[in-house]
Amino acid sequence: MTTFGITGWGTALPERTLTSAELGERFGVDEQWIVSRCGIRERRWVEDGQTTASLAVDAGRAAMDRAGLTGEDIAHLIVATATPEQPSPATSAFVHHELGISGSAHDVNAECSGFVYALIMATALMRIDPRPILIIGSDTHSLTTAPDDRDLGILVGDGAGAVVLTPGDGEWLLGWDMGADGSRTNSLKVLAGGSRMPTTPQTVEDGLHFATINGNEIYLNAVRLTIGTVRRTLASAGVDVSDVDVVIPHQANIRIINSIASHTGIVDEQVFTNLERYGNTASASIPIALSEALDAERVSAGDLVLLAGFGAGMTWASVLLRWGGAEVAA
Amino acid sequence: MIPTLEVLVEQMQAVSGAPSIDPDAPLVELSEIDSMDLMEWLFSFQSSHPDAGVDAAVFDNEDGSLTIRTVHERLERAVSADAVSER
Repeated sequence: MTTFGITGWGTALPERTLTSAELGERFGVDEQWIVSRCGIRERRWVEDGQTTASLAVDAGRAAMDRAGLTGEDIAHLIVATATPEQPSPATSAFVHHELGISGSAHDVNAECSGFVYALIMATALMRIDPRPILIIGSDTHSLTTAPDDRDLGILVGDGAGAVVLTPGDGEWLLGWDMGADGSRTNSLKVLAGGSRMPTTPQTVEDGLHFATINGNEIYLNAVRLTIGTVRRTLASAGVDVSDVDVVIPHQANIRIINSIASHTGIVDEQVFTNLERYGNTASASIPIALSEALDAERVSAGDLVLLAGFGAGMTWASVLLRWGGAEVAA
Repeated sequence: MIPTLEVLVEQMQAVSGAPSIDPDAPLVELSEIDSMDLMEWLFSFQSSHPDAGVDAAVFDNEDGSLTIRTVHERLERAVSADAVSER
């Protein structure tokens, strides 16, 4: 059996910073109102010339550098994004070219669950083709948010995070779970620009290419679905929640994170968050947080690390990793 | 099966952190309660009453007049309708 190790990681964040005070002024609300609602004090938004692919390239390059690999070493590239470079071809094609990757290129759109979806798929791919895989989560939701949309505007941030998987001997993946409920496609959506509602002058005039969110439905189901996926993953690994060393949840909203934690028995000391500085970066939120946790030495060899997320669709996914790998039974 | 009005008020205080809640005050005037507090309460209610058939519509507030007492009345109607449909 071929297993894997995470041997490289990296992030890319735009320099342009939007504080909650600035957004409060824009939307006519108090800065503290924003912070109390979502726990976000500032977020990064792309500037002219920065795109989903350009962020992905920067994060991917940083992860490859850390792993000591070049594009020629990467057998497969998977980019998780819900804000693609353009409708066609895939965002991964742009990233593939820029990074000089010689292998295949794939996109995954599971919204904010996308990175964990990609990680689970990559671990399966690794078993049939044990060569390095680059996984990137990259999103630029500031570009798909209407300028006057307060509900989304205070939440979204742009960024990218990446990891490199290389073949290894230890068993890193102790448990996993992923799923979807396609009856909830209205929770967060961009109506126009696809085959269901092709782009017309009218769709542009009506602002139907911007994302819209049903915050109540997202909250309710995010909590319910993430609790479920966390419990299933821990159960499949036979691990009690109290034994997990580091929990890296999708950085959606501090109140959603706190609710999930309280209902699953996760305590503050286990949870790593950075959304107060970056906002909700969608597919990028977990790999950015994971990279920062690693750089801050919050994760040590042998630690149990739980990654868990939910996304529009709605989707959910979680994995339990033994950092450094557990010994594989002969 | 459903909480009394007094218990519902206590539960809303617990999820929102509001020191006191007037059950007859429109929710839009209660600055210490927001929609996420309501959803957090609803999640807990749904978890403990999975067959009650209560969803976010219990907080529909198109004219801005919704109060905790109104929510309680809706809960009572939802649960009694559910009981009738089961007979």
